Amino acid sequence: SSAKDAKSTSDEDDSRAVVQQKTQEEILFHEETIDLGGDEFESEGNETVSEDSNNFVDKLNEQMMESVIISDSPNNSEDDTGELGCLQEIVDQMEAKDNLKSQTEVDKEEFLSNESETEHEETPKDISEIGTDDQASLKEESIQEAGKEEPKLGNNVPVETKPNNTDEGTPEDQILSPSTTKPSSEAEPIPVCTIFSQANSAGSQPQLFLPDGFEPQMVKSPSFSSIIETPVKSNPQVVQPSPSLSKFFGDTVNTNTLASDFFDSFTTSNFISVSNPNASSSVPEQMSSLSNGGDGSSSNPTFPVQNGRPEAGGPPSSLEITQSPKPFSQIQAVFAGSDDPFATALNMSELDRRNDAWIPSEETRNVLISVATQQYSAVFIDKENLTMPGLKFDNIQGDAVKDLMLRFLGEQAAVKRQVLNANSVEQSFVGLKQLISSKNWRAAVDLCGRLLTAHGQGYKKSGLPASHTTDSLQLWFVRLALLVKLNLFQSAEMEFEPFGNLDQPDLYYEYYPNVYPGRKGSMVPFSMRILHAELPQYLGNPQESLDRLHSMKIICAKILENLEQGLAEDGSMTNITQENRQASVQLWRSRLGRVMYSMANCLLMMKDYVLAVDAYHSVIKYYPQQEPQLLSGIGRIFLQIGDIKTAEKYFQDVEKVTHKLDGLQSQIMVLMNRAFLHLGQNNFAEAHRFFTEILRIDSSNAVANNNAAVCLLYLGKLKDSLRQLEGMVQQDPQHYLHESVLFNLTTMYELESSRSMQKKQALLEAVAIKEGDSFNTQCLKLG
Amino acid sequence: VMRLTKPTLFTNIPVTCEERDLPGNLFNQLMKDDPSTVKGAETLMLGEMLTLPQNFGNIFLGETFSSYISVHNDSNQVVKDILVKADLQTSSQRLNLSASSAAVAELKPDCCIDDVIHHEVKEIGTHILVCAVSYTTQTGEKMYFRKFFKFQVLKPLDVKTKFYNAETDEVFLEAQIQNITTSPMFMEKVSLEPSMMYNVAELNTVDTAGESESTFGARTYLQPMDTRQYLYCLKPKQEFAEKAGVIKGVTVIGKLDIVWKTNLGERGRLQTSQLQRMAPGYGDVRLSLETIPDTVNLEEPFDITCKITNCSERTMDLVLEMCNTNSIHWCGVSGRQLGKLHPSSSLHLALTLLSSVQGLQSVSGLRLTDTFLKRTYEYDDIAQVCVVSSEIKQ
Repeated sequence: SSAKDAKSTSDEDDSRAVVQQKTQEEILFHEETIDLGGDEFESEGNETVSEDSNNFVDKLNEQMMESVIISDSPNNSEDDTGELGCLQEIVDQMEAKDNLKSQTEVDKEEFLSNESETEHEETPKDISEIGTDDQASLKEESIQEAGKEEPKLGNNVPVETKPNNTDEGTPEDQILSPSTTKPSSEAEPIPVCTIFSQANSAGSQPQLFLPDGFEPQMVKSPSFSSIIETPVKSNPQVVQPSPSLSKFFGDTVNTNTLASDFFDSFTTSNFISVSNPNASSSVPEQMSSLSNGGDGSSSNPTFPVQNGRPEAGGPPSSLEITQSPKPFSQIQAVFAGSDDPFATALNMSELDRRNDAWIPSEETRNVLISVATQQYSAVFIDKENLTMPGLKFDNIQGDAVKDLMLRFLGEQAAVKRQVLNANSVEQSFVGLKQLISSKNWRAAVDLCGRLLTAHGQGYKKSGLPASHTTDSLQLWFVRLALLVKLNLFQSAEMEFEPFGNLDQPDLYYEYYPNVYPGRKGSMVPFSMRILHAELPQYLGNPQESLDRLHSMKIICAKILENLEQGLAEDGSMTNITQENRQASVQLWRSRLGRVMYSMANCLLMMKDYVLAVDAYHSVIKYYPQQEPQLLSGIGRIFLQIGDIKTAEKYFQDVEKVTHKLDGLQSQIMVLMNRAFLHLGQNNFAEAHRFFTEILRIDSSNAVANNNAAVCLLYLGKLKDSLRQLEGMVQQDPQHYLHESVLFNLTTMYELESSRSMQKKQALLEAVAIKEGDSFNTQCLKLG
Repeated sequence: VMRLTKPTLFTNIPVTCEERDLPGNLFNQLMKDDPSTVKGAETLMLGEMLTLPQNFGNIFLGETFSSYISVHNDSNQVVKDILVKADLQTSSQRLNLSASSAAVAELKPDCCIDDVIHHEVKEIGTHILVCAVSYTTQTGEKMYFRKFFKFQVLKPLDVKTKFYNAETDEVFLEAQIQNITTSPMFMEKVSLEPSMMYNVAELNTVDTAGESESTFGARTYLQPMDTRQYLYCLKPKQEFAEKAGVIKGVTVIGKLDIVWKTNLGERGRLQTSQLQRMAPGYGDVRLSLETIPDTVNLEEPFDITCKITNCSERTMDLVLEMCNTNSIHWCGVSGRQLGKLHPSSSLHLALTLLSSVQGLQSVSGLRLTDTFLKRTYEYDDIAQVCVVSSEIKQ
């Protein structure tokens, strides 16, 4: 009732206002709706949570998403910020404008915001659809009505399809079904099959599929109308060598070939770095030749293969590369043939044993023993004990930056945006690495998917028996790691699922005595185990993460114990030289430390600060060189809790530790800690002084730059703060176009003026030049 | 307008790999290049990068509401005589929060007037921040507009108290403090400010080897919904303890003063209202023990000292009778006159008794009779004493 009273009083006041009262009421009402939205989120006030969940861009986890209020009506830039907590004003409509106009504006905005509230859940999905392909969405519509897409599919696609008609049908089936079956709000914004838009463009019949069934959706958000046309218009202007559908699917033959080089290249300790000066140019060529003739084998470039290490048992593999493409089974057959004592000796190198060591569970070990003893007769293994992975979804490829550019800057600007995609690089590890280091992780995920498809572990292959190689598992690792890096946790979890607890017998080398004669240990990279263990915590199940990490810790400790007792890592009686033993102990200690690190991080996420601090303390034992950083980190934890005194104690410890070492880094660390301490004491002026001092030593320090700017804001110097951040971004966009910096910048733009849109768009342009497709566009708050 | 809650630290998601893995050191390099990671310890999740608050968040009673108010000239005209006023309307009052009330002479296009306001929130419920701006355009037209920002102030703590009255005049206060916010809370200070009649001793630390250690151990903070129990011992001050009549009925004990801190030292402070307790009634005449040995020998006399206080409003003339029980035998004359006792005054009485039975014995059987009103007060189970055989004791 008090709220009501307040409102009525303010209504009374309104009559005195110069601005027409009706407008006021409109606005007042408008704000109230915003506030209601705010109330919903009030229960979730924790800053850290909201901070975390900001990273979880993809709405994968609703629990964690609770507090993220970066949900605003598209195209409604001016009033949406109320929901963000930065209560932004709609000042400009009222001043110096005729009331009539402002009122209509307000009316319109209200209408929009109402609309967008109801449609909000659908918006991301819709956009992604539009950003991709009208054909696909048209199809989706037809599915919704008719339920079957097959006839339609037959009509549209196979125009260009070459031999792999069946192959092509299946993935498409998969692509479409999730988007229809899943409720839109939950589905991660998987752009529905980007490939097809490219296919469509090359098919040179885009106008045919201008969707009419699409119209009703367009009403929902006005911004749609502009977008809908863009894919069509921009199609002819595609600059990247965009293969036609047939090219892509024809590639399966081709990628098989190319993939064959990593089948083998990776079988031993060191993967082969394929350095081909002509690689980048040869690939498109190759593709076009494919599309013309579909002749995959002839255009195979020969890669000069360099083996990093002598024991990298490449001989059979490098042979394999130059040969014509072979189905997976055939390659295996080749492997089986190469069973000579030399290869055996080479394969089972020290390095391999050390790195691949793992202790299987009792059950798994029994299976492995029986495989070893009955080498030539089939061993019956329950299907449930086999790992049968497969891609769970098709392309997530897409470029959110480009989508945004289309929306806000128009197609002219969007065309300028050029990033590498899975097609524009070599279809191999080299290309993959290129994509990763250029921060085009989405494309890299795609490329991993293709390479895995070549391994017979592609779409819909989950649940089908599969053969594993070191390479296939490494590819899985990269793909899953990238999904996690992209915050696509749910997708990662889905694809991780067939791997079980990474302890199935077919994930051990012993399971393939013919392929890997004499080799022992797990094919699963240690980092993949870490990833697997860490994943549940991002999905709101930290307990599960802790369980997994604990069992990893036990095995690591056991391996170390074995080593100390003069045994091999897995407890067998292999002779190991002192030198190798030392190296192995070192490796496994650092791995154990890595597990402890993850535990500490997980505990921190669970907000069990006491245990987290303990865990970080134990990490120091394994990584003594990181002591100052870790102690500072613990100090920051206490600062976050609000325990300033204990934080101070830790910061003093850091100063003691760093006292012995000198150098820039430790000096910066000490200053940084002092600044944080002042922050905790609400002394922003002093904190600013220390951050500035760091900049005097190291002017390129992004953290200090950003933090100094934040302090300035709290000191009431918005313009100075903006200047500092803008200067920093302009100075070295390569480095400073970071999510958190941009987030702060956009927040300040919103605070500064109700016309923050232009400035945000300018940021988008800067991002478009420098950043890859993995850029998290949410921080621009463009809606 | 933007609420200035404390900034938060950016957390990153570490993805690492080993040198032998397919990406080589790519992932590690990416993390090194990421400005938000901690250099040298990239796997550490908690970074150093500050990020501005993303939403209004919650505000709790006792916290300070800080807000940035920026008036920005979006137009291309210079405006004059700008007056910015920020008021906070609560359910009971309206407060002016603006730092200065002077008008700014002019505001050029794309310039702004900044103000950071602070206000310690003292009321629960709906608050409305009213920002009013008045200015004069170039054409001399006077313009005025206002914006309203509504927020709810919530209760951060739940405090429950319980009193225990000791046989002596001490009072023990047990206070349960529950964190009902959604974030961890560091309790910087929880103290009892006693009323003028009491001295207080905090019983929340344990002395170990000269160092006082908190009973809450290393856990210095309260997780959401966690509760802590604090214990205080209150002793009446000498001057009030003397006058027995003063501490009677409902008395004011004092109030709890709680200071907490949350994210990056965001501070909050609350005081409870005066805690009151019902002092135990002692009837007209109160008999309390001053001294008594804890262990005595069988069949050997021992001394106790009693204090008899007149709690009534009138003068009494008391007669003491001592009745033996099965085990307790009083020594001395029963039925002796104690003389007149004025209101709120007391007398001390030394008595001798012995026990004939071993074990834990209850001291009972004292009778006081007020000869004015012919009223008898019975005192049984005054205290307990352990009786052992003299051989054992030696």
